[in-house]
Amino acid sequence: MKSSRFFAIYLCFVLLQVLLCNYLNLTYYLTLSLLPVLVLLIPVRYSTITAIIIAAVTGFLVDFLGDGVLGLNMLALIPIGLLRNGLLNLVFGQEVFAHKEDVTIQKYGLLKFSTYIVIAQALFLIIYIAADGAGTRPFWFNALRFAISLPAGTLLSLFVADTLTKDYRDR
Amino acid sequence: MPRKSRTITIILTAAIFILLEVAALSMIVRGGELQGIWVSRLSHRVMGALWGSSESVRDYFSLKSQNESLAQENYRLSLQVARMQNAIENAGGPDAGVGDGFAGDFRYIPGAIVKMSKNKQHNYIIINKGYEDGVRPQSGIITSCGAIGIVEAVERNYSYGIAFMNTSFNVSARIGSEGVVGPLSWDGRSTNKAILREIPLQTRFAQGDTVFTSGYSTIFPPDIPLGTVTGSGIQDGTMYEIYVTLLEDHAALRYITIVDHTGRDEIIPLEQMEDKKEGENEE
Repeated sequence: MKSSRFFAIYLCFVLLQVLLCNYLNLTYYLTLSLLPVLVLLIPVRYSTITAIIIAAVTGFLVDFLGDGVLGLNMLALIPIGLLRNGLLNLVFGQEVFAHKEDVTIQKYGLLKFSTYIVIAQALFLIIYIAADGAGTRPFWFNALRFAISLPAGTLLSLFVADTLTKDYRDR
Repeated sequence: MPRKSRTITIILTAAIFILLEVAALSMIVRGGELQGIWVSRLSHRVMGALWGSSESVRDYFSLKSQNESLAQENYRLSLQVARMQNAIENAGGPDAGVGDGFAGDFRYIPGAIVKMSKNKQHNYIIINKGYEDGVRPQSGIITSCGAIGIVEAVERNYSYGIAFMNTSFNVSARIGSEGVVGPLSWDGRSTNKAILREIPLQTRFAQGDTVFTSGYSTIFPPDIPLGTVTGSGIQDGTMYEIYVTLLEDHAALRYITIVDHTGRDEIIPLEQMEDKKEGENEE
């Protein structure tokens, strides 16, 4: 997929995330976030530094346009940018870097791709929930919030991943 | 990628990551009151842990100087005790302080062990004080809770001594502060075990009783606690031998005090005269 097209779709999903933050407050126990998968799907050819900076800008944008605490998404998203290459290596192996090819559900299968997303989503949620709670909420509340948000966020992320990598599949 | 360039990339990545995370945290601190308190509490906790760790490390490395200052303090207190005992003795007249009358006649010199053998049957000690510091042969080597050895030879800055962990070494010791006296010697195996011999069978003692130096010598002052009774056996059917666990582990010694009896030069000729008389009577 061309970078311009990827980032155009990327921006659309960022705006969708802003809408989710502002208008989809079903319950305190659910935190829906597309941001981790967006950072994970930044093309492999981009370096870790670039991924970190894109993650920081994305997080800041969502925080700025959304009605949450400024810096919260940014804080939780930057580590995903840092660990993106490590996760790619862990889940898909070195060959991804050798061919510099982007990862897709079709190529690597649902199981591997879900693992990739679940790890990132879990990391994001741990930081987000901890910082959002600021030590004022009991552990069980945070644990329940994490337990509900992780599968919901992963399902939504799989949908996003499918859309973002559609170009590759159609080729 | 060359190694140098890779290292630079890693450092740059880490720097950017930290910078952006700090930026995010500062935004959170400014944006949310609760988050501000939370971050401040977290940072205090981290700083506390860091300071605590560095303090522990600093404490560890300053142990040597602390030990030296404690040894100096111990020396000063020993001198003070000796002076006090001397003063009490003088105030009470010539009959006062029988049994512990030697305490005021000892001179104390703080020192450190520079070498000590531990694995032989005849172990020795080398101390960093010599005749320039006033050390004389036949001085005692003690700590606050142990008789460590006797100075045998003295050089300008160092002294050589026989260690307590030596099968030919005995200390005159008593059970309790007023109990019977016998020779205490190393058991030949452990670094903190000794045997008190020649204790009459009628003697009453119990496990846990403290064994002190008797003061019946010109080498060690009286009433230095040496160890505690842990058991006993009967020697040749006539005497008890009492097993003592020493208060000082002789394998872990560093700082000691050398004690020198100032009246020894007068006492030894008297002892020799008495020995000579006994020899003549026997003939």
